[in-house]
Amino acid sequence: MSRAGKPRRGTDAGPEHWAHRPVVAYPGFDVMRQADHWDPSTRALITRRVRDIPPIRFFTRAEAHLLTAVVDRILPQDDRSPDERIPIVPWIDARCFERITDGWRLEDLPPDEEAWRLGLRGIDQTARIRFGASFMELSEAQQDEVLRLVASGQPPGSIWQQLPARRFWIFIVLQQVCAIYYAHPTAWSEIGFGGPAYPRGYFALNRGDPEPWETREVRLDATADSP
Amino acid sequence: MRLQIHLSPQWVLDTEMREYRPSEAVDFCIVGTGAGGAVLAQRLARYGFSVVCVEAGDWLDSERDMVSDEAGARSLYWNDLRITGGTEPLILGGNNSGKAVGGSTVHYAAFCPRFHPSDFRVRSLDGVADDWPISYADLAPYYEQMEREYPVAGPAYFPWGQPHGYPYAPLQMGTAGQVLVRGCVALGIPVCIGGPIAITSGSFGRRPHCIFRGFCLQGCKVGSKHSTLVSHIPDAIEHGAEIRARCMAFEIPVGRDGRVTGVRYYRTTDEGTYVEEEQRARFVVVAGYAIETPRLLLNSRSGRFPDGLANSSGLVGKRLMAQAGQVVWGRFPEMIRQYKAPPACAETEEFYETDPRNDFVRGYSIQTVSPLPIAMAHLITQETGAFGWELRHLMEEYNHYAAIGVLGELLPDERNYVDIADEVDQYGIPVAHVHFNLFENDRRLIRAAVQRAREILEAAGAEETHYVDRYAHLVGTCRMGSDPRTSVVDQYCRAWDVPNLFICDGSVLVTQGAANPALTISAIAARTADYIRNAAARREL
Repeated sequence: MSRAGKPRRGTDAGPEHWAHRPVVAYPGFDVMRQADHWDPSTRALITRRVRDIPPIRFFTRAEAHLLTAVVDRILPQDDRSPDERIPIVPWIDARCFERITDGWRLEDLPPDEEAWRLGLRGIDQTARIRFGASFMELSEAQQDEVLRLVASGQPPGSIWQQLPARRFWIFIVLQQVCAIYYAHPTAWSEIGFGGPAYPRGYFALNRGDPEPWETREVRLDATADSP
Repeated sequence: MRLQIHLSPQWVLDTEMREYRPSEAVDFCIVGTGAGGAVLAQRLARYGFSVVCVEAGDWLDSERDMVSDEAGARSLYWNDLRITGGTEPLILGGNNSGKAVGGSTVHYAAFCPRFHPSDFRVRSLDGVADDWPISYADLAPYYEQMEREYPVAGPAYFPWGQPHGYPYAPLQMGTAGQVLVRGCVALGIPVCIGGPIAITSGSFGRRPHCIFRGFCLQGCKVGSKHSTLVSHIPDAIEHGAEIRARCMAFEIPVGRDGRVTGVRYYRTTDEGTYVEEEQRARFVVVAGYAIETPRLLLNSRSGRFPDGLANSSGLVGKRLMAQAGQVVWGRFPEMIRQYKAPPACAETEEFYETDPRNDFVRGYSIQTVSPLPIAMAHLITQETGAFGWELRHLMEEYNHYAAIGVLGELLPDERNYVDIADEVDQYGIPVAHVHFNLFENDRRLIRAAVQRAREILEAAGAEETHYVDRYAHLVGTCRMGSDPRTSVVDQYCRAWDVPNLFICDGSVLVTQGAANPALTISAIAARTADYIRNAAARREL
């Protein structure tokens, strides 16, 4: 089963060579420009999320740097200027600092904040075993190789004896990073998600049509297969 | 106490709610206000009993406390600590548990099919699990009541199980629902459009109809989707029931005569502190759903009940069931925009029953799912572990995905259970440890169901399909039965061991069928209420 649909233009060697830019665009679509049509509670919540970025309170400076490097490989934003990027690390830190949980913990994982701390040490340990240098010193390709080892569930390193790597990767790292990234209006605009629609509602329910205030998709890759 | 709570844009529940003193013994103290507790409270209040509901969650004002936002909906969920394990650890929290007045009905998708007649006789028919102490015919009148009270929209003729019709017209679907219909039609599979779902297809009382905003799982700001918060709780209050919010039950005390005397709970004050109180009651009903109910009973140990309250059978917490909820999605060349319209809108129950051609017994339904972006990203990463630009590209295709879901019957097994962990929650109450495993019939059923869902998506034009394992709904753990040695409650949800204790929620279910459980839970509660009224009239309570 293919995982990503068709290969992208100019790519012939697998995911690591994929273009570092989107292949889909919704030109001119900015969800935040619809905020006046949202109800006050939703508007206040999303506005706070965009504007009020929490300070780093849980992770040490070194941990925060390492986590930033990891998150940059999980959801890279090198197509955006620094001030356009979706902040992720501050929200992970806030979760850990405030001990926010989602109502469940896998029986073989420690509490989230301990798992993050342990997992970061594990990632760095795997980097040193595999490449003889800390994660921060590796090339992007080497960093990706380390993360693929973690994702595989069998990374080298003693720390992973205490922390099941695959479950840590799927249920803590990817789950939380994705929940933060795809909660941001910039990500909604990126993927053409119309976002909040109360009290206005959605009307164009057929054929995947856009609302009058949404825009049509434009394919930037060679496989322009959208009507 | 004065309540002023928006239940819809036009409807403020603006009323004086009766309040009881905790020291004043009421007829019924009910723990929980979800599909079971709220319906029972409403019925008992109407029948003239004094009722206090102790609810762990808070009141939600639809205008103030509900948002059109995935991440922002976490305040609706049960986020307190639970430990989850086994071969298939259940993802809890927002997936299947709520902490609010209205329980998880506040954020359920509102698929409301009935169980089939065969569900009540699986031992007789298929040689697995157990027969229920009641039949479909016993519940049928209560299904009809609930379909009018929720209310449920659906076709005028529904062909599966015991054929019946729905009182309210099918709801309009979005493009994602049309994908399921198109795939089924292409394969000659009967499919049901626009229901059965508890979303109003026209105005219903002070509840307006649906605006297709798509955030059903985040709480309906419109008041169109059913929850007990908008269906039964206002009526319960009008008839004198008190809903005591932000009160976390931790023990049901027992008197020297072996009868329970009330409910002990921690009330959260406006300052965020916890105050211990005890509501005295002549009867106690536990309706906390399949994890919190056994947790409360197992935490209510006493000299008389050293293994937990009502647990002489040893079955409290045992036979936990969740349904196979594998999500199967396809990428389509055309646009889908699956975020529009309610995620619940079409289904087929064509594969619900045992089919001798299968290598498993019992069956499955297939329903629309339509995840919003965060949920979609979780599916993709759970399937592949993907990251980097690969992940961003996969998510760029969001508007080309249509996701449908299996709803498969997994069989009860004592190796699936809830017990008490060593850790405590923020109140200091020992937390639940949930153990869930799959067995051979389950695995075969899932394999076939996922394959069927893939075929449907491919027949609808999907270029590729994917799936991840997921489990939905929580039932079992305090099963009903006709023998005190092999069940926790009788057919009227009365605990065998304690004459003035009832358990009235999804935990009493013997099997789970391939139907979403809310309507059945409410129907059982309504039946229990009638039993209580009649027994009280005969002075047999």
